[in-house]
Amino acid sequence: MTKVMPLGVQGKFQSEWKNDLHAAGGLLPVSIYFAWSDTKARYKRSTLGPFWLVVGTAVGVAGLGLLWSEIFQLNKSQFIPSLTVGLVIWQFVSSSITESTSIFVRNASLIRNLPLPTFYFIAQNLFRHLINLGHNALVIFVVLLLYPSNLSIVSLLALPGLIILAVNLVCISVVFGFAGARYRDLEHLVSAFMPIFFFMTPVIFDPAQVGQRASLFIWNPMTHLIAIVRDPLLGRPPETVSYLVGMAGITLLLPLVMFLFSKCKQRLPFWV
Amino acid sequence: MPRLELENVCLYFPVYNQNSRMLRKMATNLFVGGKIATDQGYEIVRALDGISVSLRKGDAIGLVGHNGAGKTTLLRVMAGIYQPTSGLAVREGSVCTILELGAGLDHELSGRENIFRLGLLQGFEYQELVELSHQIIEFSELGDFIDLPVRTFSAGMLTRLMFSIATARTPDILIIDEMISAGDEGFQIKARARMESLINNSSILVLASHSPELISQFCNRQIRLEHGKIIEELCL
Repeated sequence: MTKVMPLGVQGKFQSEWKNDLHAAGGLLPVSIYFAWSDTKARYKRSTLGPFWLVVGTAVGVAGLGLLWSEIFQLNKSQFIPSLTVGLVIWQFVSSSITESTSIFVRNASLIRNLPLPTFYFIAQNLFRHLINLGHNALVIFVVLLLYPSNLSIVSLLALPGLIILAVNLVCISVVFGFAGARYRDLEHLVSAFMPIFFFMTPVIFDPAQVGQRASLFIWNPMTHLIAIVRDPLLGRPPETVSYLVGMAGITLLLPLVMFLFSKCKQRLPFWV
Repeated sequence: MPRLELENVCLYFPVYNQNSRMLRKMATNLFVGGKIATDQGYEIVRALDGISVSLRKGDAIGLVGHNGAGKTTLLRVMAGIYQPTSGLAVREGSVCTILELGAGLDHELSGRENIFRLGLLQGFEYQELVELSHQIIEFSELGDFIDLPVRTFSAGMLTRLMFSIATARTPDILIIDEMISAGDEGFQIKARARMESLINNSSILVLASHSPELISQFCNRQIRLEHGKIIEELCL
């Protein structure tokens, strides 16, 4: 195994992100292994292990679903599936974003000691949250069995939706990861604003149910990113505008990601 | 063929302060007249200054110098972790590093699981690790401790584990920061034997140490650093 690596020629790093992405691609199985190993380590010495994730989500969904459907006189068979799917996807989105601000800081000892590509940490973070999402999908599965909604061939659209959502989250993670490594306030800022962002995004309620007032939410890009995964699971195709917003997010964020790589990657070991 | 070349490498190290400290500094600078150069809100330390080194197969170089002379920084530039601010660093071949004790280990997981974690990050294949793990465990002499969480390990045991993983396969370039001195005497003898065989097997070794004895045993060249500059170069 021989590779030539000019390590530091100033001004020759336009393709920095390409090299990094390529190297991280080779480490893809390793990042999945680590995501899984980290998940296990977090629940080490507990009997249920990662299934505590499922228990947490199930308790939340059952509690909120039963309570709110009583209080607000909602149709359980309509409200509970929509709440479950919404909450599970929101958990994936919000934890990916909140934790992205400290991706590099958490891995400081690796960054300072091993020459690893930067995308490796981003990939590992994504896979860890996808593993959590996979566990929580069990809750969705059970709820959809209990309250059979109109699952159909349309539901398969959830998969491309998830991919678009994941790519957006990867881009956001890179931006927040670099920014959070340099400016440590970002981590706290993001976790302070996440709860309000939760209420500004139609997660616990279905925008279709709010009627007229739903127009308030179409200005929140996250509404659309969540819709492209949630709507198919509730048996209806997402609106075209939601896909457009998803693609626009990627188109706008990608140049920023490349720019940050060329500017910040080299400085990362000094920041963490 | 492995090689490691640094040409006139300089490294400026930004040190970021907390805002309050920065603001206070700026305030004092108003009165003092800005003698302390705080550039754009952070201080800059010149960690390496015009370093040129050329290493080829079979070279074993020892880095010596006071604390803060730039030894570890230089090792990180050689490993490709820090990019030089100016100058050129070229590296060919696979690299293994032992820089910080415990880096890359998960302290909740067992020693055995950590062999896989650290091994994968050092560029081993999973299957390769399955085959090598027996040998790694045997060499580390950790015995039954290997299945205990790493947080129960002593510094010496961590050293054994990390050294055994990093040297399980012959890397082209091995970069070590003051490590082997932490193991006990029995392990040091084994470690020395392994290092000798690594050097004979055409690796490049870079070792930073405060022990002249260690350096003279393993290295055929020595560089003395002071304030980030090479002030002395010897053949041993």
